[in-house]
Amino acid sequence: MPNPTHHIDESPIRFDRLVQSLPNWLQRFLPIGGGIAHDHHGKGMFGVTVFLLSESLVFLSFFFTYIALRLTHPNWLPPGVKGPELSQFIIFNTVVLLSSSFVIQAAENALKRHKIIKFRWLLALTSGMGIYFLVAQAIEWSNLNFRLTDGLMGGTFYLLTGFHGLHVLAGILLQLLMVSRSFIRGNYNSSHFGVSATTLFWHFVDVIWVVLFSLVYLWRT
Amino acid sequence: MKRIFDALLLMVFIAVILVIARWIGDRAYSWMPIQATAEAERVDRIFSFLTSVGTFIFLAIAGTIGYSILIGRAPKGDWSHGHPARSDVRLEILWTAAPTVLVLWLAAQSFSIYQQLDIEGLQPIVHLHLLEEPAAAATVKNTTQLAENIEVIAKQWVWSFRYPNNVISNELHLKVNERTRLNLHSQDVIHGFYVPEFRLKQDMIPNRNIDIVLTPTQIGKYHLRDSQFSGIDFALMVADVYVDSSETYSQWLSQAATRK
Amino acid sequence: MIQVKLIVNGFLKLLPVNKKYMTNNPIQITDDSEDRNSKPDTNWREYFSFSTDHKVIGVQYMVTTFIFFLIGGLLAMIIRGELLTPESDLVDRSLYNGLFTLHGTVMIFLWIIPFNAGLANYLVPLMIGAKDMAFPVLNAIAFWIIPPAGILLLSSFLVQGGPAQAGWWSYPPISLQNPTGYPINGESIWILSVMLLGISSIMGGVNFITTIVWMRAPGMTFFRMPIFVWTVLSAQLLQLICLPSLTGAIVLLFFDLTFGTNFFKPLENGDPIIYQHLFWFYSHPAVYVMALPAFGIFSEILPAFSRNPLFGYRSVAIASFGIGVVSIFVWVHHLFASATPNWMRMLFMVSSMLVGVPTGVKVFAWTATVWNGRLHLFTPMLFALGGVVMFVFGGITGIMLSSVPFDIHVNNTYFVVGHFHYIVHNTITMAIFAAIYFWFPKITGKMYAEGWGKVHFFLTFIGANLTFFPMHPLGLHGMVRRVSSYDPQFQGWNIIASLGGFLLGISTLPFIANMVGSLLLGKKVSDNPWHATGLEWKTSSPPPRENFEEIPVVNEPPYHYNSKAIPEAAVTQE
Repeated sequence: MPNPTHHIDESPIRFDRLVQSLPNWLQRFLPIGGGIAHDHHGKGMFGVTVFLLSESLVFLSFFFTYIALRLTHPNWLPPGVKGPELSQFIIFNTVVLLSSSFVIQAAENALKRHKIIKFRWLLALTSGMGIYFLVAQAIEWSNLNFRLTDGLMGGTFYLLTGFHGLHVLAGILLQLLMVSRSFIRGNYNSSHFGVSATTLFWHFVDVIWVVLFSLVYLWRT
Repeated sequence: MKRIFDALLLMVFIAVILVIARWIGDRAYSWMPIQATAEAERVDRIFSFLTSVGTFIFLAIAGTIGYSILIGRAPKGDWSHGHPARSDVRLEILWTAAPTVLVLWLAAQSFSIYQQLDIEGLQPIVHLHLLEEPAAAATVKNTTQLAENIEVIAKQWVWSFRYPNNVISNELHLKVNERTRLNLHSQDVIHGFYVPEFRLKQDMIPNRNIDIVLTPTQIGKYHLRDSQFSGIDFALMVADVYVDSSETYSQWLSQAATRK
Repeated sequence: MIQVKLIVNGFLKLLPVNKKYMTNNPIQITDDSEDRNSKPDTNWREYFSFSTDHKVIGVQYMVTTFIFFLIGGLLAMIIRGELLTPESDLVDRSLYNGLFTLHGTVMIFLWIIPFNAGLANYLVPLMIGAKDMAFPVLNAIAFWIIPPAGILLLSSFLVQGGPAQAGWWSYPPISLQNPTGYPINGESIWILSVMLLGISSIMGGVNFITTIVWMRAPGMTFFRMPIFVWTVLSAQLLQLICLPSLTGAIVLLFFDLTFGTNFFKPLENGDPIIYQHLFWFYSHPAVYVMALPAFGIFSEILPAFSRNPLFGYRSVAIASFGIGVVSIFVWVHHLFASATPNWMRMLFMVSSMLVGVPTGVKVFAWTATVWNGRLHLFTPMLFALGGVVMFVFGGITGIMLSSVPFDIHVNNTYFVVGHFHYIVHNTITMAIFAAIYFWFPKITGKMYAEGWGKVHFFLTFIGANLTFFPMHPLGLHGMVRRVSSYDPQFQGWNIIASLGGFLLGISTLPFIANMVGSLLLGKKVSDNPWHATGLEWKTSSPPPRENFEEIPVVNEPPYHYNSKAIPEAAVTQE
């Protein structure tokens, strides 16, 4: 057993006590000491979380650019253009995307309780809601009276919604992959890491949309 | 006895490197080009100061390491361990606190020198009136009237200058001992206004109004170079700069006007 | 204390840990790892394959990046050849601009950053007592992105219009001037290549953080990890936090270049200063991504060859993190002469100077480590000592550059070029050579030729100073950087710098000969030829496939060179 007696080189902060006082779901990500290399699910989720945090910062750099350009450039809008409209269509689209997070979470919970059929249906429903979101976004794009190259607003709008859309697509593909893998015998014998990762990714996609939506549609000049 | 001897040796070492650092600081002035503006004199002072401090630190550490290399060799093949000390908390606090105080002092000295440079503040980034006169955000000590206002135009890869009487020339002429404002305009990519003898440099961003103010103090001929990489003939983007007496300047200006 | 022991024990029991590791008598692993943990693989073919063994991947990284180092060096030789004379008479100006652009890009993104990743790949699992990295397949993918990305970048010499020519910063608007008009041009290739390398780095970052947090051996608390692991942790966290900013910058740049957007085009209402901020928000911490592992290397080598514990281990560990944190808040010092308001210049002057404090803590710790030691001046030690001394010089010029009034004069001159080369070459590359020599016996099981190692050191040390010292007076006198021709008054120092550069080129020859020759013909070594501490020295040279016969249990602090006892077989035949 490793000797925990205090030594001059030991940490000034007792990490072990600190970690134990945190809620269980967070502790899952924060191991102490050593010797837990075998928790593959925990390890994997930690990696995915770290990756998603980093990926969010790419969007943050786009958001920063959007905000900086918008605040410092009076000719933000191209002539004769009012910018993206906050229509009922967009609001409904947002509601669909955000609710789909609850659906996918329910799917993962179903899987944890070994209800595979329910899991498959809920996951398929999530993909369906994601596909609806993308199609609606495409329809909105086609109805806009400005293009990518139309001024700073055009450029940032299509850039932000475009890259977000790509991530929605990636999320949908991951979900469909998870659905098809659920047909493989014994797929979940060791862990359902893939499903947990897909769920977390989908939540991330939603959080990005909330920020994007606020900056692009709610922020009126 | 040994402790006293060691302490004495340490004090001698520190004294020696202090003297050398001071001497290097004085020599530092000669490593710079001649001082052609009031600003240059200030900049050279901070340079000398930084060089002194830097020399002291370098000699202290290199000296200690060098000394260890000289007297601390182990016999060949003898891998036995050295001294058991792993840390000394008081020493570590000292060498964290002292450098902190030192760098804050360096920052304060630099700030003080910077205040004395007539660098007009650029507009803050979040400002909607980009095309207005820049706010004099800097503490401009000398609020006397500016003698001249010359527009500097940079274009790949040529400098041109527009004088108050609308003369355009490829030479920059400045009146000695007069505060002069330069409006920097780039017409294509980012360029950099740089005259080493002036110790002033400012990048020129297209579509932005950026000004610098300087007071030349030495009559002579200098070179203006582009300091921000700007393409194929970047190295060739050089212009002649003349700091003239008042009469020579007026003479040149009227001649240039007639030549147009 | 017993309560802590009980609680920790209780907590650890909740985790799915192999209980065999929890006893006082760790028993032999009897599962099929017996076969997997085979004798070290001497099959050279493995090094050209998609191996998931971190040791193979580490070597793949290190050898590949060394080749890019030589290529980057070759580009530098041509640059120094041009700069022997004031006129532009060796290569045409456009090619010259491409040369220094690719020299910088190759050295940063294809040499130092990935070499560090490779060295960390090899060492970190060994140092923390793990069998491999957390995600071995991801690890292999991250490596295999490097060669194609590098070849892609170099292929830009062959496209119409030549390679990217806007410097390794690729500032708009100059980087957006596409004279050929084609969508496939040097600049777009540059952006794609850097993007690919960034993806590789992010993969590495995720892998290293997860490995260090999750895969330490029992008893290896954070404050028992070697400093090299601390610095890797700090550097990889910086990558994950800051690289996204560069990604954003070059994606926007690519859109401007290829799709006609105007984010950074000032004449179309865009703002090139935003690019500068996004770029430097990453690129300043990037220098610490490069430097921190070098600091870690010094922290491993100096104790081993002074036979002293690392002085102030805990402070050095905390400083490794401190440097990382502070470095996130200094980037504007690259923009002092740009469109930066006064208040921002002053703020970032203070933060930039403060980064010197944790750095100083490390330098003082190293100095105190070699003080009163029993020094062995083998090649790794020479490189380490030379690197530390030159780092003090480079660090001092760095603090000088943080002073805004001084920086205004020397910004964009050779003074800056001299400063950063004292860091990336005279400190970091020296540390890399020190590391190669130090761990060569562990990696290969053979000893290198010490005499030739010393020759390499002296040639490098002299060349390094001859090449980069003259750049300081050149900058003070106003020689601007990135110029293919210059004022004749600058020629004297330029000749010295070029001769130094050629000497550096020559100095790689004894190194390469030593590595190849020793690999083939070197004497076999024991597990621990340097009598060093650290878990990597407790296993065979080279280590078996799964690194350890059995996962060690750690109950000692690191760098325990402090008992008066003489280690076994101390007096060896040298």
